Amino acid sequence: MEGQHKHPIWAKLVGYAAFCVVILILPLFITDDYLLNKLARYLVFGLVAMALSISWGYAGILNLGQAVSFGLGSYCMAMALKLRTIPIQTGAEGLPDFMVWNNVKSLPWFWEPFHSYGFAIAAGVLVPTILALLIGTFVFRARVTGVYVSIITLALLVVINLVVIDRQRLTGGFNGLTDLAPLELFGLTFDPYAHATYYLIAVSLGAALFLGLAVVHSKTGLIMQAIRDDENRVRYFGYDVAAYQTFALCLSAAVAGFAGMLYTLVMAFASPTFLAVPVSLSIVIWSAVGGRASLLGSAMGAIIVTGVQGSLSDTPAFLETWTLIMGALFIIVVLFLPRGLISLVDRIPLGGSARRRAAAATGAASRSGINAG
Amino acid sequence: MAQFSRRGVVKGVAGLAGAATFGFPQIWIKNSGLARAAGGEIKVGVLYSLTGTTAIIETSLNQATLMAIEEINAAGGVNGRKLVPVVEDPASDPATFAEKARKLVIGEKCVSVFGSYTSASRKAVLPIFERYHNLYWYPTLYEGRECSMNVIYTGAVPNQQQRDFVPWLVKNFGKRFYLIGSNYIYPKEENNVCKILLQKLGGEVVGEEYVPLGHSEFSSVIEKFKNTKPNVIFSTVVGDSVVALHRQYKAAGLDPAKMPMASLTTSEEEVRAMGGEFALGHFTSAPYFMSYESPENAKFVAAIQSKYGKNAVTNFVSEPAYFQVHLFAQAAAKLAGSDLTPPTIREAAWGQEYKAPEGLVKIDGQNSHTYLWPKIGEAQMNGQFKIIEQSKEWVEPDPYWAYPGQVCTPKGMVEKKA
Amino acid sequence: MTDIFNQVFSGLSIASILLLISLGLAIIYGTVGVINLAHGEFVMLGAYAVWFLEDHFGLGLFPCIVLAFFAVGTLGWVVERLIIRRLYGRVLDTILATWGLGVILQQAIRLSAGAELRYVQMPPGLSAAVHFAGVDVSAYRLFVLALTAILLAVTYVLIFRTRFGMRLRGVVQNPEIARCFGVNTSQIYAMTFAYGAGLAGIAGALVSPLKSVSPDMGTGYVVDAFMVVVVGGVQSLLGTVASAGIIGELSGGLAYLSNDTIAKAIVFLGVVVLIRFRPQGLFALRVRRG
Repeated sequence: MEGQHKHPIWAKLVGYAAFCVVILILPLFITDDYLLNKLARYLVFGLVAMALSISWGYAGILNLGQAVSFGLGSYCMAMALKLRTIPIQTGAEGLPDFMVWNNVKSLPWFWEPFHSYGFAIAAGVLVPTILALLIGTFVFRARVTGVYVSIITLALLVVINLVVIDRQRLTGGFNGLTDLAPLELFGLTFDPYAHATYYLIAVSLGAALFLGLAVVHSKTGLIMQAIRDDENRVRYFGYDVAAYQTFALCLSAAVAGFAGMLYTLVMAFASPTFLAVPVSLSIVIWSAVGGRASLLGSAMGAIIVTGVQGSLSDTPAFLETWTLIMGALFIIVVLFLPRGLISLVDRIPLGGSARRRAAAATGAASRSGINAG
Repeated sequence: MAQFSRRGVVKGVAGLAGAATFGFPQIWIKNSGLARAAGGEIKVGVLYSLTGTTAIIETSLNQATLMAIEEINAAGGVNGRKLVPVVEDPASDPATFAEKARKLVIGEKCVSVFGSYTSASRKAVLPIFERYHNLYWYPTLYEGRECSMNVIYTGAVPNQQQRDFVPWLVKNFGKRFYLIGSNYIYPKEENNVCKILLQKLGGEVVGEEYVPLGHSEFSSVIEKFKNTKPNVIFSTVVGDSVVALHRQYKAAGLDPAKMPMASLTTSEEEVRAMGGEFALGHFTSAPYFMSYESPENAKFVAAIQSKYGKNAVTNFVSEPAYFQVHLFAQAAAKLAGSDLTPPTIREAAWGQEYKAPEGLVKIDGQNSHTYLWPKIGEAQMNGQFKIIEQSKEWVEPDPYWAYPGQVCTPKGMVEKKA
Repeated sequence: MTDIFNQVFSGLSIASILLLISLGLAIIYGTVGVINLAHGEFVMLGAYAVWFLEDHFGLGLFPCIVLAFFAVGTLGWVVERLIIRRLYGRVLDTILATWGLGVILQQAIRLSAGAELRYVQMPPGLSAAVHFAGVDVSAYRLFVLALTAILLAVTYVLIFRTRFGMRLRGVVQNPEIARCFGVNTSQIYAMTFAYGAGLAGIAGALVSPLKSVSPDMGTGYVVDAFMVVVVGGVQSLLGTVASAGIIGELSGGLAYLSNDTIAKAIVFLGVVVLIRFRPQGLFALRVRRG
């Protein structure tokens, strides 16, 4: 457990609160719809990276299928919004346009309940959670660990992606669900450019960070971390290791599903590329760059990486070389900052000793590389 | 147009919500509606992927577009005003397409954007163009059944590719078709149309199959060809899969003389990559082939090759990517400098004609699609297509051709009761 | 009967390509313990090496295969020295670093060789079909099959019949003790990584005439190759061969009965179930939990 709680909890809380304040007042300095939308999009990535940190950083489960939860959440929201679109292109009342094109005659049964926002929002969180529960039970009861869990989640991601693209009649196929109505709830309209959408996302991210912090500092959270460090030792103490691992996976999936729903609001469409391998790997990269064992670190990692990526690719000089630069940056971070950018913050002396940090950075101490606080 | 009113309401509510819920002073200033060209320059967006999967083809679209812009500027611009391209890389990813489109439309205030290869990316950016009343110029052949007033479609729709092609195939090779495509909307919709045509002609579909995008292992598919023995393999496989399919077809000992592949998607670009011997004897239907003889095409090909190397090829997507910029410039030239906004450009573009490499083309004033010149080409050893059939006149674009009663109008799609 | 033979051959041919692509990955993962996400890019580089040599020097496919092995192998060696060496013992971190490497290689090729599809010639003598046991089979696919078998034999001999192989096996079993016996473990790791990369280069060279050559061609291969390695069992050459065979025949057969999308989905689900019940793979000799 070495490396934990280097900073006292109050320092952490101050850091988290400062972050929340920053993202809440940022819109005051943004005058452009497009920039606000872009920022909102980065915050959503922050949320989904933070979700990965719960399972990866705190419970040692590298879920390479994080995009499944994200994508399913996104589709749940998009289905509800799609049913509210005025089908200007088809003339067939009540049936989404792509179904008309695919000669579907009546709304499929699993689309029906999405007429209700309540159901859609619940589904956006619960569908990924239940799926994670099934996968977790299936995998962890057999004591499958480490890289094998990653391979299983990766394979399932590939399968689900194939199915969504293949069942075009029901899912919109490769095009995804487009031409969506904006979400209207509590008298507010959450369309991609609305401040309401931005604040919804910022508040969600802030709440999720504090909620996550509460979980990882609870007894459950401590056991999760103990499992990450030595699974068998925890088992000998009589804990049900699989249950804790499954819990971590489910919590992570629920947050990722919620992030997916927000992503639909920001992008105004849902696409099978949201639940594909590149997105899944990106989430892992964000979390790793920021600091996998820190919720705030992961969230900021996502915001920084996508922000740098966005501004690099926006710069004419880097139009063709921005991917080269991003690739090199990842390698450098992995090599020289194994605990992510957040480990730079740990250098600020607030109770942690410099010597311990130095020790942790060397190979022996960071056996798993996931010991940061 | 439902979009108009929806937008107004949305903006009002959003502004109120921001102010009411959080009590922050409303110091942000909304962009005032439309993009408008200002000063001595006209900003246009160029949105083709330079990285990622579809960069294979989209880089050539980017090049053709930039070349057309240079030509226009070299000839004095649009009424003396230079076109300034703002190039973005959407990285073959629909979400990035949306982000970059927002930048071009809202941030850069381009008066038009040229872009997209896949339908998925067009669908992803469409809401932005509708919401901000901007104009998207889309050069790719596509599945039709779309009718947006914020897109000018310069690629072929199913009637322009299939109306003459399928009867010709039935007449020359037979009625048994095997439909093979990549697994997404374009092949599925083209095959829908093909099946409707075959039904009228008394043809038969002996197999219909879709392979995942990027698929490169066709042994099982070829087994099925061998067993079902179709007269024609109707292919809408796209991208690098086309190369793999053709090579494995020949390597398995199949003969184009008996069982040719008839494609809507195989261009000079793919043929160059597979090698002429693997394309030899297969057919493609498209409005443009590099080998087409016209002064305009000779000039176009020479310009591309002098700029991008003597091995560069042109194809049925890069040609519209090129001529649509000229159509844009003609439309813009009709307008007074102070009145250059996307909706006025659209109105000016309707009915606009241009002598393109493939022949004289025209933008339809009803559905914003383009009159084109369908041709049937047979692939040759040298990588070029020999044009063996050619439409006698330009063919009207009809995005709802296979669906009687549905018509695209400036008010969106309407259902005509028969 | 000919149908069944045709189908078996087509499955075998899929299997040979799978094996070709996963062999290098299996060796790297099994001995060095690195999950190399840039493996697909090594395959891609092999294909581009052939394109470059053909296009600029007019070389035929056969010398190109040899040169692709050395070119990509050398690159693998450099990568190991510069990056991988610093990541031993951090399996999951290797995923991240090699992913970054893959991104760089892909874009570097796109900028230097162009984004478009590239043409690689199929040797004229092999581009047709041959009549074999009553059916037409692709001569080139037979050639790939034969070459895969040869590579497998070479690899077997290298690991089990040479001094290098003995040291390698020693290092895999226990690096500390091997070091005590004077084995330069660092050098063994570097050479193994280079050999695995070189095999990927050959794989790229061999598939390029049958498929297509583009900067992102590798991304599709790497996931498939991983499934083969994991199903076969880490550190088991026989396992990798068997697994490629099973997955190849299964994909071919299922694709024939339904279509390629469903075949792929079923095969991957099968892999998931298999890992659940045999995480050590079909033929594992020994498992390092990690």
